Parts: sequence; structure tokens; C-alpha cells
Amino acid sequence: MCGIAGIIDPSRFADTLVNDVQNMLAQIGHRGPDGAGCVVDNGFALGSVRLAILDPDAGQQPFSDPSNRYWLSYNGEIYNYLELKSELEAMGCRFQTNCDTEVVLNAWMIWGPDCLRRFNGCFSFALYDCKTESLYLARDRFGKRPLFYVRQGNAFYFASEMKAFLAIPSISFEQDAGQLASILCVWTPLPDQTGFKEIKSLPMGQWLTLKNGELTTESYAELRFDEEPQPDDEHAAQDLIRERMNRSVELRLRSDVEVGVYLSGGIDSSIVALLAKDFSTKPLSTFSVEFDDAEFDESSDQQLISEYLGTRHCAERISYQDICDQTPAAVYHAEVPAFRSAFVPMYILSDRTRREGVKVVLSGEGADEAFLGYDLFKETLLRTSWDQLSGEVRRSRIQELYPHLAHYGPEDTAAMTGLYQQFSKERMPGLFSHELRFQNGQFSTRLLKDKNTPLAAITDLISSTPDYDALSPVEKAQWLEYKTLLPGYLLSTQGERMSLAHGVENRCPFLDPDVFSLATAINLKFDDGLREKRLLREAFRNRLPDRIIEKRKFPYRAPDAAAFAKHRPDYLDLVLSDAELAKLPFLNAAFAKRLANKVLTKPASDISTKENQTFLYLLSISLLHRSFVRRETLPLATLPPLEKVINLQRETAAQERPYLSHGNLSSLT
Amino acid sequence: MQQIRDFIEDQFLIEFDESFPETSDLFKEGVMDSFGYIQLIRFLEKEFDIKFSEQEMTANVMVSLSLIEKTVSRKLSESITD
Repeated sequence: MCGIAGIIDPSRFADTLVNDVQNMLAQIGHRGPDGAGCVVDNGFALGSVRLAILDPDAGQQPFSDPSNRYWLSYNGEIYNYLELKSELEAMGCRFQTNCDTEVVLNAWMIWGPDCLRRFNGCFSFALYDCKTESLYLARDRFGKRPLFYVRQGNAFYFASEMKAFLAIPSISFEQDAGQLASILCVWTPLPDQTGFKEIKSLPMGQWLTLKNGELTTESYAELRFDEEPQPDDEHAAQDLIRERMNRSVELRLRSDVEVGVYLSGGIDSSIVALLAKDFSTKPLSTFSVEFDDAEFDESSDQQLISEYLGTRHCAERISYQDICDQTPAAVYHAEVPAFRSAFVPMYILSDRTRREGVKVVLSGEGADEAFLGYDLFKETLLRTSWDQLSGEVRRSRIQELYPHLAHYGPEDTAAMTGLYQQFSKERMPGLFSHELRFQNGQFSTRLLKDKNTPLAAITDLISSTPDYDALSPVEKAQWLEYKTLLPGYLLSTQGERMSLAHGVENRCPFLDPDVFSLATAINLKFDDGLREKRLLREAFRNRLPDRIIEKRKFPYRAPDAAAFAKHRPDYLDLVLSDAELAKLPFLNAAFAKRLANKVLTKPASDISTKENQTFLYLLSISLLHRSFVRRETLPLATLPPLEKVINLQRETAAQERPYLSHGNLSSLT
Repeated sequence: MQQIRDFIEDQFLIEFDESFPETSDLFKEGVMDSFGYIQLIRFLEKEFDIKFSEQEMTANVMVSLSLIEKTVSRKLSESITD
């Protein structure tokens, strides 16, 4: 795993770009503490920081072909790189290393952008073609690895994390009230959003071309639900689940360093740990967060699995104080507003993981989206069939929906039935499944002076998606999860941004394209969807303890506002003081203060989920403003050891270079 | 009925005025969620010693302050008549 950064600016000489690109890399040094490297020429600079996983001695970047025409800065892992390498060798390619980096470069040289469809992995990369003076950026299909960019006139900057742009004084981090409204309502940034005006995110499954000052983007992997035929029967479906998951985990164990597993205590990560154990020749290490607060704690199930599989188990116990202490740093790494605090324990856990000597982990993310694990899917099924159900069935289904929420209990079922009645018809076109969530999200938009039109961006996104209308209500719900909560929070804020903050790479076997396509072919084909992830559970029934197989989905959460109310960290001044709130010009300061006061003074039982969420948004937006907009309390940027610095202007005489990059300098000088 | 207004303003951090009239749909405006709705129903039933039927709660009568006040008044007068 690595971080990448670069600059395209035809008006600048190579010498002047070296410092800038190295300063950008220093800002993201945590992503690749094993080494840094860059290549510069007139008009372009490309760099990377490296977390050495495969062939650690040979993978210095940026990587070039023997002619130095192509330069690649690459972040990620292509799990099927050995198979692709064999294919490329059969076509005449010769390889110098055992790294997947070299496979990516050769795959691009042979197949061009078509290579992206062949990649099974998590990646983002930048590839510069000196002959055509073109830059290509690409990102994996599910958005596991990030890539951000900024365009200023003829200058173009890109990086794995936005904080790299802090090294470029001309780039401003002005928060965008319009995007914030969408984020507050939808819970996460949309695929191209960042929350900052000038900075864009390259959406998942896309590649970007910058050539002659023209920027284009294209998709190579649309999310489809019709690519695989339905298996004959349930047994065949279960066999396929085991087969695909086996293969997926086996591929994701390809590494020259130890691979551990994040164990939540639920069925998904237990399956991953089980299969990892099957393939491991050495004792497996597992890592978990435990909570002082029993409401969130799953340690007994984590210990059960750890003992059952005989793993070396490391648990990090999280207190309210830990949440308060680490929130500012975790928000800095997340870079975008957060609606809950559950990412903070993952920041603490990755630190522990790294200290235990493990820098690659597998985790269970992606299972709930693929195999219908979330209650949201059951809620969608219920509301879709509402008019056809008797009052008795409606009541019993409501009681089963969210058992961890007290207000869904038996005594309030009648009132809840009344609420659901109002949500039984589509009111937000195309967004039926998420209407309750987005409706609640609108409460958070009250933090803004101008609420704008918070659903406009997501409505545009689904309108511009071919075939979206043809999806079933549950498939639409899945599609929305794959474009919002999964990439915009679970894989990023709670996932790789937290793990890479301490140089730990995470891999997700449930995000294998073959696992996803199988899930789309079997969901709701052999059951009514009321028992979440039933087929997945049954596929592993005889391989895991019954308690885990039968365990109901336990949403991973952490103490939210209650932690801040109890310990009152100094930085709460950001959300309580008039002077501090006034620094954020787009904020409805009166509402923000009223909300913060309520959340921090009333008993936790009086605080609703949406108030908790809104408080976390307010706090994270304020912390982001302090770090990125005002550039206060920034950590010291440290460049990892320089392994490679290539100045193409200096190191090679022009006549020896078949592909000299001129940029537009000749016309300028 | 002042106590209903006070409860909603206090619980949901809003103030009814020209920009946010009493007829505003509290769901559509993002003011009330499922948790808040349940809190409101519990409050009304306790405060006025009334009980809402499921039919009343499914008839979209509880979505704005004016509708809530109307419904509560009707139930109170019914109980007096009874």
C-alpha cells in the first residue's frame, strides 16, 4: 500500500517541481513509511510513498518501462497479478521484479485502459506517458483506494489524500456549503465530492485522462446486478459462496509480510478469519476493539472466535476518554465530515496493529452490501409490500427491524406503524429505500445557513446512471449503499484512512468482483430476505460456532456525544463559543450552539440518533475547518526515507531519451 | 395547547415563526425523525391523558403543529362528550 502525488504544469521546469512533489509526499508519509520516490521532468512530477508488501526490495517507485516512456505511481494491490503476469509473459512481456506494480505497468502498455477491467484488487494510480504527454489516473471499481485532484488553470495536482495539497500554497481548502448540505443529508460525500470547493475525488470505477490541457473521465466498471445466472438450487448457491470466498481470501493473502484479520465478532469477519486460518501456515493474528460501554461491546464473541480458531488475539479496549483524545487526529486523517464516532476506535486499533508488527489486515467490509445484511434492506422490503400486508404482519415486521433501537420496541409499535404508513409511497424519486435516512439527514442540514437543495446531487447521480430505473427497490438500495455509505464512510473514513494513518493496509474479501456478482444472482432467490445474510450463514454453518452463525446483525457503533459530554475536551470550544462558530461563515451558528448545548447537557437517553449525528457533523466540520482551512494544529509532515529521485532533465542527455517530455516550455522560453 | 408548541420547539430545536409556520410538515422539513415522533406521541398521551388509535396514527394527522393541535382538541372534546 502506498500514497501517490503529482503535478502536471507545463509552465514549470523540472527543478522547481522537486520540492513541491516531495512536500506533497511528506504530508502523506504515514501511508508509506518504508520509502519515498519521485520523478520530475519539465512539466510533470510524479511521486509515491511506499508501504512495502510484495517484493519489498524491488518495488521502489515511480516505476518505469525500460525506455522511460511510461512512469507509474501506484497505490494498491492487484490480487490476481500472478495470473495477469503469466498472460502478459505469454504475450512477450519480460519482468524484472515480483511486484504487482510492474504487472500494472505492462498491462497498461499492452491493453491500455482495458486492463482496468481485468484487475481484481484495490488500487489507484497515476501513469504518465512521456511520448504523448498524457496523464492517466485510475481508481478501483469499489473505491477502496482514494484519489483526489485539483485543477488551477493549466496546473493539475493529484494525491491519495487531500492533505498533500496543504503543501501547495495556492490551493485553498474552502468548505463548500452546497456539498456539505448533500453530505449532511446523505451521510457521506458522493463519489466525486470532497466537501471542499476546489478539490475533486475521482469516482470509483473511473479513469481520467489529461492531455493537451483537456480533461476527460470515463467509467470502466458500472455496478450491475444482472451479470450472472441464478444457480439451480440453494445447495449450489452455498457451494458457490464457499468456493468464491475461498478464492477471494486466498488471493488476498498474497503478501510477503504477515497478514492479520480484523475481528468484529460478527459473522462476516468470522468467515474471513476462518478462511484465512485455512490458508495460513503460521498462527493467525486477529485484532479487535472492545468497549468499556457494554452497549457497543462484542468482546465475548470476538474471544469465542479467537479461541475457536486458535488465533493470537490482540484487543484494544476503548473508553470515552480515548474517543475524546483521538477524535481530532482521526478527523484530520478522515478529511471529510463524519456522522458518527465509530471511526475513531479504528484509528486507535490500526496503531496497535502496526505496533504488533502487522501491516496487512483482512476485514469483513462489503458483506452486508452484497448479501443484504443491513436492516435497511428489510425495511425496503417491508415498505415496498406495505399495502399488501395485514396490520398484524406490519406490526410484527416493524418489531423485528431495529431491535437495538428502543423506540422500535413493542410499546411504540402503533406509533411506528403510523410513521411507516407515511413512508410507504415513494416521495423522493428513485430514493425510496433511503427516504427515512435522508429525511432524518435533512435535520442535519439545519447546521447550514442556506440548506440549498441537499438531495439535488444524488438525484443527478442516479438520473445519469444508465439502467438505474430498471433496478428493483432492493437493488436500488444496494446501489445507493455501494455509492454512498460504503465508499464514502466505511471504506474510507472508518476503513483505509484510519488504517493507513498508521501504515496498515486493509483488504476486503467480500469486495471481490466474483463474490459480488454471485451475491446479485442469489439474493432473494431462495428466501424472502427477512433473515439477513441467510445464505451466507448457511454456507458456513458447520464451520463456525452456532452462536456466531445465529447472531443477529449487531451494528458496529461507538460512544458518540455521550463521550464528549462526559469528558468535555478543550476543543469543544469550537462548537460552543460564539467566536469560534463565527469563523465558519456558512454555519447557522444559533442552531449549532443550541444543538451542542442540548447534546452536551441532557441525559444520553434524551438525545436522538439524528441529534448525535448532527453533533458529530458539527464537530468534525469545525475540526476540519481548523486543520485544513485555517491550517492550525497541523501535525509535522515527515518525508519517508528517499529511495529514488529522478530528474529526467539532469540525469539523461536529451539525445539519449527517445521520449523527452517538453511540456510547453519551448513556447514559453 | 401552548405546551405542545413548547415541547416541539424544545425537543426539535426549532421556533415557529413566519419562516417556519405551524402548518409546516415536520417530517418533510427534517425536524422530526422516528425517535422524535415516538417521543412526541408519548408526550401527548401522557400530558393530555389520551390514547391514539393506530388508525389515527396512520392517517397522516400528526405531521404538523396545527394538525397535531387539531387532533388533540378533537380527542379532548370527544372524551368530554363521552
